[in-house]
Amino acid sequence: MELLSNLALGFSTALSLDNLFYAFAGVLIGTLIGVLPGIGPIATLAMLLPITYTLEPTSALIMLAGIYYGAQYGGSTTAILVNLPGESSSVVTCLDGYQMARRGRAGAALGVAAIGSFVAGTFATLLVAAFASPLIELAFKFGPAEYFSLMVLGLIGAVVLASGSLLKAIGMILLGLLLGMVGTDVNSGVARFTFDIPELSDGIGFVAVAMGVFGFAEIIANIEKRGTREVFTSKVGSLLPSWKEAKQAAPAVARGTLLGSVLGILPGGGALLAAFAAYTVEKKVAGANADPPFGQGNVRGVAGPESANNAGAQTSFIPMLTLGIPPNAVMALMIGAMTIHNIQPGPQVMANNPALFWGLIASMWVGNLMLVILNLPLIGLWIQLLKVPYRLLYPAILVFCCIGVYSINNNTFDVYMTVGFAALGYLFYKLRCEPAPLLLGFILGPMMEEHLRRAMLLSRGDPTVFFTRPLSLTLLLMAVALLVIVALPAIRNTRKVAFKEAD
Amino acid sequence: MRIRNETDFWSGVMFLVFGLGFAGFAQEFDMGTPQRMGPAYFPTVLGGLLALIGAVVALKALAGRTTEGKMEPFHLGPIAWVLGAVIAFAVLLRPAGLVVSMVVLIAVSSLGSHEFRARDTALLAVGLCLLVLAVFIYGLGLTIPVLPVFLRP
Repeated sequence: MELLSNLALGFSTALSLDNLFYAFAGVLIGTLIGVLPGIGPIATLAMLLPITYTLEPTSALIMLAGIYYGAQYGGSTTAILVNLPGESSSVVTCLDGYQMARRGRAGAALGVAAIGSFVAGTFATLLVAAFASPLIELAFKFGPAEYFSLMVLGLIGAVVLASGSLLKAIGMILLGLLLGMVGTDVNSGVARFTFDIPELSDGIGFVAVAMGVFGFAEIIANIEKRGTREVFTSKVGSLLPSWKEAKQAAPAVARGTLLGSVLGILPGGGALLAAFAAYTVEKKVAGANADPPFGQGNVRGVAGPESANNAGAQTSFIPMLTLGIPPNAVMALMIGAMTIHNIQPGPQVMANNPALFWGLIASMWVGNLMLVILNLPLIGLWIQLLKVPYRLLYPAILVFCCIGVYSINNNTFDVYMTVGFAALGYLFYKLRCEPAPLLLGFILGPMMEEHLRRAMLLSRGDPTVFFTRPLSLTLLLMAVALLVIVALPAIRNTRKVAFKEAD
Repeated sequence: MRIRNETDFWSGVMFLVFGLGFAGFAQEFDMGTPQRMGPAYFPTVLGGLLALIGAVVALKALAGRTTEGKMEPFHLGPIAWVLGAVIAFAVLLRPAGLVVSMVVLIAVSSLGSHEFRARDTALLAVGLCLLVLAVFIYGLGLTIPVLPVFLRP
């Protein structure tokens, strides 16, 4: 069994004392930051990226993955206890989780979320391990045309997922692609859009974009809001769900896991889509006589989406690890992190760097286990953290962000760039343009141009190459299908409702 | 003609400006042919598309059937304090060192909050300085100047 020997290699890497420590530290710090309201996984990852610079690549990626799960889970805790989603995929958890908390079942909601996430994480890790090798075989059949079409599919997927206007989401993607063009053109050596600024010749640093648009802009937006938070601190209660709740939650966890795993693999998919879809499914399955009704604290509304978002978070590593293509903004960040460590993401990683590849996969499961062990006993600590006033939190966040951005190149120019992107991010926030597609476009921009050029060169300038190669055609047809599905009136309305609930 | 949806209208204008800007600045490079695309090719196509989308978004915001949407007001206070603090940090870091620039960053950015309290901020600054020195400088060994120029060995 090749899979078993691969997993054995993975676990021997992931279970080394060093890597266990980094996974643990990642999960702990990720949860710590993720619990803070208004900071999602993207901002958390961007902020904590510098901690991993000095580590060796495997440990760095294991730690980053841990940070990601931690942040994801921390977001759910905040959603349940404060009704403030730390990130978009825990928006649905707010709906029923917070209501459960109000009815005194906060503990049960947190417990179900943790157990559901662990089950989903275990399943999804196995799936990643099983799918990795065959998909890499497939990846080697990919030519430039296929890569280009795949990226088109991924970007369309991101558009579909963005809340609000589709056209605006497409605009944000195009803007992201264009920002990715800044810097030296690899084919001709011409410096594009650098305005003779030498620091720009390597392109805009993606940490500056991510941290400015997600981290800083969110902080500024949060300071503006003068809301009071209602935290359920006194009556969290037992973390174990009642028998009735457990019986309701178990099938929801199973459905959420399956759904999330599938949706996570899709380009453009990931935790967010998974959570929304799972909530809709649970609502449908439960029907009209759900007890209690959905939106009033039904445990399935927590179990389904929480399992699904964790499964989706996990399986979205598949396209990233096998094809080197990020399916969502978080994976775009992971790719950025790999590049900082001089690892070119793509199908060759598994062959060249098997310990890193399988170690990362095995560490996913280890990380999930740690999440459960860590979160259930430490829930009191997270609650304390939620009580820290924001006026003390955000200067601390700023300090870590600034040191992080500076230490990428030991250059203050990156800090100024971050300020610029923070201002731009604030503008996006006011104009209600969702920034996640921009980040994805930014990472994909140079790759897309490169593959487009190569495909056109090979086809001697014949653009039909994208439709005549079967794999490429399939990918493009999938993209068209996605667009058509979203444009259908029925889906359009559900989408509106789903994102309305998000507000 | 009245702007019915302000956020959409100004988003459209933003896309239009960026699209035309990128496409325009791309013209100083070589376009190439579809077979051998020059550095200007892809940015021109993308910029053109972005400008087109911007125009459509802006025009739709003027159309009669569009749902009304008002811009939220811009609050210059928080953004000025926060970004000003970060700029000050960047300016001070090389000459004045990490400790001074961190204190400035914390103090100035805290002023952006409507619930600023001097004593808490001072405590926060001391605590964070110790934490950052312990984790980043001594723990992770990042090479950032800690002390002001005149105090450095």
